[in-house]
Amino acid sequence: MASYATAPELGRYAIRSVDRAEVLRYLGYLGHEVAPGFDEELDARIDRVIARCVDVSQPAGMVRVFDIAAAGTADEPPVLAGTTLRLSGHDISAHLRGARAVALMSVTLGLANERELLRLSLTSPLDQAIFDAAGSALVERAADAAEARIIALAAERGLYANDRYAPGYGDLGLEVQPALLESLNAPKLLGVSLTPSNMLVPTKSETAILGLFDELQEHREDRLCNVCACREFCTIRTQGRTCRG
Amino acid sequence: MDKTNVSAAAPAVALPTTTPAGHRWQRELRFADEHLAAAFRGEEPLLLDGGMGTQLQARGLAAGETPELLCLSNPAEITEIHAAYVAAGSEAVTTNTFGANRIKLAAAPVTAKLPGSEARFEAAAPSVDQIFAAAIACARAAGPRYVAADIGPTGALLKPLGTMGFDEAYDLFAEQALAAERHGADLVIIETMADLAEMKAALLAVRENTSLPVICTMTFGEDGRTFLGTTPEVAATALSALGANAVGINCSLGPADIAPLVQRMIAWSRVPVVAQANAGLPQLHDGVTSYSIGPEEYVAALEGMVAGGVSIIGGCCGTTPGHIAEERGLIARVGSAMKAQLPGELPFTVASAQRLMSLPMGHVGVIGERINPTGKKRLKEALRSGNLDYVLREAISQDEAGAQILDINAGLPEIDERVMLGRLVNEVSGVTTLPLQVDSADADAVEAVVRPYAGKPMINSVNGKRESLEAIVPIAKHYGCALVGLCIDEGGIPETAEGRLAVARRIVATTDAAGIPREDVAIDCLTMAVSTNQLAGRAILDAIRLVKAELPGVRTVLGVSNISFGLPYRPLLNATFLTAAFSVGLDLAIINPLDERLADAVAAWRVFNGEDDHENSYVQVYAERAAREKEAAKAAAAPAVPDGVWLHFSDDSWRQFGQAAGTTAPPEAGAAPFAAEAGAAAPAASAADALSGAEPAVRELHDLVLAGRSGPVPEVVRTLLATHDAMFVIDEVLIPALDEVGGKFEAGTFFLPQLMASAEAAKAGFEEIRASSDNADVASKGKIALATVKGDIHDIGKNIVRMLLENYGYEVVDLGRDVDPQAFVDTVVEQNIRLAGLSALMTTTVPAMGETIKLLREQAPWCKVIVGGAVLNPEYAEMVGADFYAKDANESARIAGEVLG
Repeated sequence: MASYATAPELGRYAIRSVDRAEVLRYLGYLGHEVAPGFDEELDARIDRVIARCVDVSQPAGMVRVFDIAAAGTADEPPVLAGTTLRLSGHDISAHLRGARAVALMSVTLGLANERELLRLSLTSPLDQAIFDAAGSALVERAADAAEARIIALAAERGLYANDRYAPGYGDLGLEVQPALLESLNAPKLLGVSLTPSNMLVPTKSETAILGLFDELQEHREDRLCNVCACREFCTIRTQGRTCRG
Repeated sequence: MDKTNVSAAAPAVALPTTTPAGHRWQRELRFADEHLAAAFRGEEPLLLDGGMGTQLQARGLAAGETPELLCLSNPAEITEIHAAYVAAGSEAVTTNTFGANRIKLAAAPVTAKLPGSEARFEAAAPSVDQIFAAAIACARAAGPRYVAADIGPTGALLKPLGTMGFDEAYDLFAEQALAAERHGADLVIIETMADLAEMKAALLAVRENTSLPVICTMTFGEDGRTFLGTTPEVAATALSALGANAVGINCSLGPADIAPLVQRMIAWSRVPVVAQANAGLPQLHDGVTSYSIGPEEYVAALEGMVAGGVSIIGGCCGTTPGHIAEERGLIARVGSAMKAQLPGELPFTVASAQRLMSLPMGHVGVIGERINPTGKKRLKEALRSGNLDYVLREAISQDEAGAQILDINAGLPEIDERVMLGRLVNEVSGVTTLPLQVDSADADAVEAVVRPYAGKPMINSVNGKRESLEAIVPIAKHYGCALVGLCIDEGGIPETAEGRLAVARRIVATTDAAGIPREDVAIDCLTMAVSTNQLAGRAILDAIRLVKAELPGVRTVLGVSNISFGLPYRPLLNATFLTAAFSVGLDLAIINPLDERLADAVAAWRVFNGEDDHENSYVQVYAERAAREKEAAKAAAAPAVPDGVWLHFSDDSWRQFGQAAGTTAPPEAGAAPFAAEAGAAAPAASAADALSGAEPAVRELHDLVLAGRSGPVPEVVRTLLATHDAMFVIDEVLIPALDEVGGKFEAGTFFLPQLMASAEAAKAGFEEIRASSDNADVASKGKIALATVKGDIHDIGKNIVRMLLENYGYEVVDLGRDVDPQAFVDTVVEQNIRLAGLSALMTTTVPAMGETIKLLREQAPWCKVIVGGAVLNPEYAEMVGADFYAKDANESARIAGEVLG
C-alpha cells in the first residue's frame, strides 16, 4: 500500500490584512450593517490597532499527513500510523469516516502577538479588546493558509480534504492536544505549548484535524473558488486546476 | 591593570558562600579531565554528538512517544546509537533525557518500546532518577570519553505569558540536575530553550545543586530571535554572566542559517560558543524520513563558524554519525579554539529578555529615575493603592524619551517593598523592553527580584560598608548582574575626592575578589548639594576622574539632580553639571529623561563625544525641533484665542480652528458639536435636553464621555474643579454620563468599543480629579475582587469589567488570570471583600469556577459572587452557585451598584 504520509512541515504565512468586518463582528457588532462610522476617532483607532496586530503577529503553521493504521467505524475513529495520538468520539468518527489519510495542523500568531496582548492589558483595555478581535480574525486566516497547504498535499496524492475539525468541539476533548502538538513537532518548531488545562499558548493558536478522501467532499463541490477562504493561499489554481478536480 | 596593587591597598571584604536566600553561590567546578577543563577555557575544541530523536524515529519510534522511556525498555538500542557516535568521533555523547522531567514523565503513556523489539516495559510512571540512571548507564556503556546529561525545556510556558512559575520550573530542573550528578554525568547540556527565564531557572538549578560544567544552547528562528524575542547577543551576554560554561545555538535551523547568529553570539560571549544545527528539513518518502543536508554540505557550512571562533560543535535534529565523522575531520584539519577576547576594554552591558543595552568605554548612557517614590506624591499614591497605571505610563514615557535603563524603586515605609518591587519589575517589563535597575538596599528584596529576572539586570546598590558588601556582592556575582557601588561607608560620604576613591577601591577589591568583571561595576561618587557647600561639585568631578584613572575598567554612574537642591532654576545647574561630569568620565547618568534640558545636554554631549550617529540622531531630532519652534513662534504672533472659548469645541473643530487660527471666527460657545459626530448612535441628543441650562463645561465633559474622547477631558475637569468640588464632577457629570452610555449599550445603539472608549474618557476624568484633590475627597465605594479562574488564561472580558467598575468608583483587586481558588478566597478574606467577580471563557474551566465559589461559601460567606464569560449563561451561573450572572461588563457595574451601593 502506498504511503500518503508526510514529514511535519513548517509554513510561514505572509498575511498582510484581515477582514475589518470580521474583526467588528468579534467585537460584538451583531447583526448590524457593518458600517459603523460612529466616530472617526474610534474608527481610526480600530484601524490602527488592527494594523498593529497584523504587524506584530508572525503567522505560521505546521501540517502533516498521517496514514491510517486501522480503519474507523461509525463509532470508532481511524487509528493513525506513526503517532501516539488516539482520537475518540462519535463526532470525529463521523468526520473521518471513509478517509484514506488524516491531516493534522496547528497554526499560531506567535508569542510576539501574545506579548503585545499582555502589554495592552496593562496599558489599554480597549486596545486589548480590539487587538484580541483582530488576532482572532488573523489566526483564522492562518488556519485557512494551513488548510490550503493540506488541500494541496491532498491533491498531490489524488485525495480531497474535508473541513477543519478542532479539538474541543463536539465530543472530541482537549486531552488530545498534547499528542496532536507533539505529532506535528509544534512545541519545538512553532513555539506552541499547553497550559495544564490543555489550553494553547499563544492564545491565538489553533489545531485541527482533516480527513483526506478518494472522493470530492460535499462542501468543496458547491464551493466556488471566489468564495473559498483558502483562495489567497491556494497553490493549486496556479497550476491551472482546482481542488475540486 | 594591576589588580594585586588595588587589593593590597584596599583589602576585599571576605564574602559568605551563600546568598541571603540561602542559594549557594560559589561551587568549585569538577572537570572529568584536563581536556574538558581546557575545552571550557576555550583552549581546545570539543566534539559532541548528533541527533538522538531522529535516530530513534528511524528505528520506528512513533510521534508523540516519550523517547526517554526507551532507556528502560530498550537500553541496548540506545547504547547502540551512542556507540555509533563514539565510533564516529564524538568525545561527549548526550543522554536520552531531553524531556525527562517530572511533569512530562507523569503524563507519558508507559508502554514505550520500539517496534519488533522483545523488550517489554509496562510499569508505573518511572521517576526522573530512574530515567537518568538508565540513560547515563546506556551512554556510559557506549564507551565515550564524557557523558553529557541532556536537559530540555519543561514543555510549559513560564509566566507571565504562560502559567508555570519560575520556582516550579527550577524545582523540575533541580531534580534532573541532582540525578545527573548522582549517576555520574560529566557535564550537563541545557538545550533547545526559547525562554531566557526558563534557561536561567535550569542553569541556576545545575549551578546550585551540582559541580558539573554546563553548556547552554537556545534555539532561534529565521528572524534571529527565539520565540520569546531573545536575540543571540542577549543570550550570550546574560548566560555567560550567569555562569554558563559555554553558550550557543541548537535546533530549528540548518548550519548556514545559524552561522550569522552564532557570529553575533561570539562577539558577546565570555565563554566558548557552541553550534549544533539541524541537518536542514525532514522529508518523508514512503515512510522513510531523510534530512535535506548531508554530512559534507553540513560541515562546509560549519567550517566558517569554526574559523570564526566556535570551539564546541556537534549536531541536532537529522544529524547522524556520518555528520559527526565529517566534523571530526574538520577539527583535525583546521583545529578549533575559542576566539580570543576582543582586545581593549569590554563594553558595559545589561539586558532584558528582548533588548541589549551596551555601552562601549567612553560612551554615555541614560538611566531613567522616575520610578522612585521619594518626593513624588502621585507615585506614592500609586504604590499605596496598588493601581500601577501611573507607574506604567512613567515607564513608557521614559522609554520614549530615550532612557536606556529604568531604575525601579519601591521604597516606601508603609508598603511591603519585597512584594511591590517584584510586581513593579514584572509589570514594567510587560510594557517596555528596557533593561531594569533594581533599586533597593534590602538584600532579600534585591535577590527575590533579580533571581527570576529574564535578562541581566543592574543592582542599585552596594556601598562600602562591610554589611552591604557581604550581602549584595554575592547576589550580583551569583546572578550575573551589573552593580552600582556607592561611595559611602561606615564613616558616611567622604567629603574629598580621595576619600571617595578609597571607598571605591574597597568596593572594587571586593567585586574583583568575587570574580565580577570590572565592566559590570559602576561607581557612584554621590552628588551633594552645592547650596550647602560650593566645593561639593568640584569634589564629585574630581572623584569621577580619579575612579576612572585609578580603577581601570570600572564605570561610573551618578544621579545629578541633587546638585541643585535648594537653588532656583535647577534645570540649568543640573544640565551644566551633567555635561561637566561627562567630560571627566561619567558613563551613566541617572536622570529624568523627560527633562528637556537634561536630554539636550546628553544629546549635545554625544555629538562632542564622537558617539552621535549623524544619520538619525542629533541632526534629525534637532532639525525637526528647530522647524517646530519656528512654526510655533509664527503661530504665537497670530491673534490669541479668546480665553476659555476653545474648550467648548469638539476635538475636530479645535483642530480646524488651530489650522486657521486667526482667520475663522470660533463657533458660538455652547453649541453641541458632538451630536453630529457621534454618528448613528447620536448620543448627545438626549443629553442636550437633560443638561439644558447646565453650564458649558458640564455639558462639555458629558459630551466628551459620550463621544469617548479622552484627550480634552483633564482640561475640562480642571475647569470644573475651579468652581465645584470633586463629588459634583463625579456624581453629577461623570457617573450620569457613564449611565447614559450604559443605557445605549444595553439598547444596542452603542457597541463594545464605544462603551470602552467612554470608559477611558471617564477614567481620564477620574485620574485628573485624583491628581488635583486630596484622597479624602474621593472615597472608594467598596472593594471588588476579580479573577479569571484557574486553568483559564483569557482575560479580555475581566479587564473590560475591571475598567468599568473602577470608573464607577469601586476599588478593584484584580488577581489576574489562572487564579488558584484558595488564593482568591484568601484575598477576599484578608481584605474583607464583599463582592467577587469570576470569569471563565472555556467550558473546561467552569468547574474551577464552581470550586472557587464553593470555597468562598465556606470561608467567606459574606461575599456575593458575579460570574460571567463567553460560555456562561444564567443556568450555568446557577449551577456553579453564583449569586449573579452578568451577560456583559455593563451589567457587572449595575450589579455592583445593587450590592455595594
